[in-house]
Amino acid sequence: MKKLVLLLSLVAAFALSAPAYAHFQTIYTPQSALSKTQKINIKLIFTHPWEAGHTMDIGKDQSGKIHPPIAFGVMHKGKKKDLLETLKAITFTSLSNKGRAYDVNMKLKGMGDHVFYFVPAPYYEGAEDIYIQQCTKAIYNIAGAPTDWDALVGDPLPTEIVPLDKPYSIWKGMSFRGVVTCGGKPVPDAEIEVTYMNHNIQGNNFITKENMEIPQPELVPIGIKADSNGEFSFTFPKAGWWGFCALGAGGDLKYNGKELSQDAVIWVQVVDIK
Amino acid sequence: MKKILIYLFLAVPFFFTTYAFAHTPLCSCYDNGDGTITCEGGFSDGSSAAGVSMTVKDKDGKAVTKGTMNEDSEFTFKKPEGDYTVVFDAGPGHVVEVPGSEITE
Repeated sequence: MKKLVLLLSLVAAFALSAPAYAHFQTIYTPQSALSKTQKINIKLIFTHPWEAGHTMDIGKDQSGKIHPPIAFGVMHKGKKKDLLETLKAITFTSLSNKGRAYDVNMKLKGMGDHVFYFVPAPYYEGAEDIYIQQCTKAIYNIAGAPTDWDALVGDPLPTEIVPLDKPYSIWKGMSFRGVVTCGGKPVPDAEIEVTYMNHNIQGNNFITKENMEIPQPELVPIGIKADSNGEFSFTFPKAGWWGFCALGAGGDLKYNGKELSQDAVIWVQVVDIK
Repeated sequence: MKKILIYLFLAVPFFFTTYAFAHTPLCSCYDNGDGTITCEGGFSDGSSAAGVSMTVKDKDGKAVTKGTMNEDSEFTFKKPEGDYTVVFDAGPGHVVEVPGSEITE
């Protein structure tokens, strides 16, 4: 009986540790603000960035089958380019497991903003008995010219976060504002999770070293809300990559007979100052 | 009429000054790998660099190619032999020099 109580309290403690449920689709490259045309590597990883924890197989359904990504592309000077065929499947290793991820080596060519967008196939999360589909954006710039960072990508993203501050020119202490949208319209009062890439990525792994000591682990990810116009703001205490996820911003949806949480994710890079 | 003229005189330098203080000139070039170089220009507020004067100088500072940014704010030229520098000249205080050694594929 004592053993059962102990087991139950362990289970309860685990279930209450909210961080376990903060899934984040990433579009990762080491530097978002580049000085000139160059070759870059981009990684698409569906993980728990703050803890470098459990990494999910992107697009895995309830039966365990992995479905290929739905859309991946880049918008530059108002033109969208489909890059879906350039994605290569990789195995990404977190601090606790391995998962199916994707990467691409490409030349980022041309001055201005390059808005990358990704729509994965819905992932079945057994712990919550729901499907999760995170429509994700990351914006990289070459040589400082602002061209597309504040534009709505639209199709193929059903839901997206539109920046009000350039996401690649944020220095520590500055803020980022964005608008959560669905079908191009603001999503009032959207619930947003904020995460931090607390472990850097080297090759196809997270490294063990932490960038920051989390003041109170049960409070990550940080929870914020959009206002009645779908707008939110966040001020960064630390340099590095920060992710924002507007939960269920795509509306009340179903997939394979289950609830589908269609989220809008954006990544912004904060640079340290001396 | 006199008043209008005064306003115009006041307005003209005002426009020029805003221009001078609000923008940073930007120029970035890449090697097309076919013996040509393409430079793109613009300003930090997103405005176009169409018509901006472009000069390619050799190591002695002699102009080897001259032209202007096209309507897409681009300028393509034949890559010179040896060291060179690209000069994007949008007027005083708005000059960007790009050394050829920094221009890669």
